[in-house]
Amino acid sequence: MGISINGVSKKFHSFQAVDQINLTIPTGDFVALLGPSGSGKTTLLRLIAGLELPNSGQILFNDLDYTNKNVKERKVGFVFQHYALFKHMTIFENIAFGLKVRPRKFRPSKQEIKKKVYELLELVQLKEVANRYPSQLSGGQRQRIALARALAVDPEVLLLDEPFGALDAKVRQELRIWLRELHQKMNITTIFVTHDQEEALEMADTIVVMNQGKVEQIGTPQQVYDRPKNAFVYSFLGRVNEFRGEALGTVKDGCHLSDNYVGYLRPHEVHLSTIASDNSLPVEVFHVHSVGASVRIEIKRLDNDTLIEAELSADEYRRIGPFYKGDRLYANCDSIVVFQHQHILEDSLPKTVASTI
Amino acid sequence: MSAKKYEERNEKSREGRRSHLLRKWMLIGVALTFLGLFIFLPLIVVFSEATSKGFELYLLALTEPDALSAIKLTLITAAIAVPLNTVFGVLAAWAIAKFEFKGKNILITLIDIPFAVSPVIAGLVFVLLFGSQGLLGPFLEANNIKVIFGIPGIVLATVFITFPFVVRELIPIMQEQGTDEEEAALTLGANGWQMFFRVTLPNIKWGLLYGMILCNARAMGEFGAVSVVSGHIRGLTNTLPLHVEILYNEYNFTAAFAVASLLALLALVTLVIKSFVEWRSEKLRSE
Repeated sequence: MGISINGVSKKFHSFQAVDQINLTIPTGDFVALLGPSGSGKTTLLRLIAGLELPNSGQILFNDLDYTNKNVKERKVGFVFQHYALFKHMTIFENIAFGLKVRPRKFRPSKQEIKKKVYELLELVQLKEVANRYPSQLSGGQRQRIALARALAVDPEVLLLDEPFGALDAKVRQELRIWLRELHQKMNITTIFVTHDQEEALEMADTIVVMNQGKVEQIGTPQQVYDRPKNAFVYSFLGRVNEFRGEALGTVKDGCHLSDNYVGYLRPHEVHLSTIASDNSLPVEVFHVHSVGASVRIEIKRLDNDTLIEAELSADEYRRIGPFYKGDRLYANCDSIVVFQHQHILEDSLPKTVASTI
Repeated sequence: MSAKKYEERNEKSREGRRSHLLRKWMLIGVALTFLGLFIFLPLIVVFSEATSKGFELYLLALTEPDALSAIKLTLITAAIAVPLNTVFGVLAAWAIAKFEFKGKNILITLIDIPFAVSPVIAGLVFVLLFGSQGLLGPFLEANNIKVIFGIPGIVLATVFITFPFVVRELIPIMQEQGTDEEEAALTLGANGWQMFFRVTLPNIKWGLLYGMILCNARAMGEFGAVSVVSGHIRGLTNTLPLHVEILYNEYNFTAAFAVASLLALLALVTLVIKSFVEWRSEKLRSE
């Protein structure tokens, strides 16, 4: 099912949670609503589900106006951050709930319900827990059951509110891959909320970056990562070094920027060298730590003592290193992306983007 | 460490342990003495006094017509007050715990009023409202409805006094549970009733039962407010506590204590059920 959101706003008391949002989601898309806490992403998801009603604007499902339809009529599957499984019911009863509350005319028979529940349990690979209670399951298992329960009513849209937020790193990683595969198998329009840029980049077909109730950018993971529309999107997606402007004649001179400008440089784009070159910035090694396949080096600018984070692959580090605290190096800022008043300067965007993903 | 020092230290810790034990038993002793003096002794006195003139007289005191009518009236009052306050209690607790609205704090304060004011004043308020000199008195008299000095007044006063029990018990439970499960039920296609009976109610049932037990105990035992509005007409508007008072004032101690023992017995049964419910809900929570 395709979803269109036209100029939707939602206010809680004096807090503008969602502000004039326009968004079109085609059938079968896998969308991430990405933003910091308080950016309105969960509110937008709840507006789509019908758990909140907008103050203004329209929400269309397959071009039909659903703005004032209630939750029940929208037939969406909703997965909550804290699972929201029914504590007093077994896993079987939890999954069967959506089928059992149907009016008698549309209610499947007992055998049909049983068949469906076991199909879903098989889908989420948890057949053995049917007769247990939610409290006897781990967090990851509970979230998979919550998903099975949402899928039991054959929703045309699946909405997930920070589905992996309460899980530990390893389980989260496993579930990401699993959910991605599940989406490919079932091809239901899926929208999930996350504040984790890595999760959004890894899973989604489309990323909607949100901030302060507004959409900052919509695009594929590659688009938003490589061609961020503004400073917020750039700084929110991945680690960055920020370069503040200073009194300078031209807009950009090496690593120096003029007033009213702000520059961003990702750690892996900071090129280090032991030899000075044109436009390079003299720095001093402050701290070196290796994280798996890459090495992170904190360097200190000699002109104003601010710290910059650089990241090298282990191979590269072996080639030009090793470095120790206090070593003199030269940093190159050619890849810096410069913004003025929140808008990007087009010509500063990197021309080749393939190397950054 | 030398042997002497070691022994000294050992001695010290033994002393410490002894004084610790002493403190423990002293505290327990004080608590038990207090309980015995103020709880067990009165209870024993009630039962021994009630049966002091023989078991037959005891039974007689409980089965004479006025006593039976008092028992009946008390049961009727509780049978109306408890369901009413259960329904309103669930509704009020739901509104307060799950929705944000203006005047919520005022509502919470209002709910506490029956606990905050003296029951006698609560009774007087009803007299001022429904009595013949009261605000609605002329209207009621014209329509031949008797509230004060009648059963309706007793029921009204009891409902008022026992209102906070269920609400107070449910608000924290409902707040703790949040709205996630209910919203999940709605997204799965449940309607309002299905959501309430299949999700909300099972989640609050032990708390609700606990509130109802307390509400019932108070409804049967209320004296002050009921005393003001009842008019003490024997066999007509006397509840059990009022009946005890009348008998006592007539120096009919055996009968007074016999009826009182019935109330005490009721309290004991309530406490046993309450402990069971507490134990059950505690067990469920820890699971």
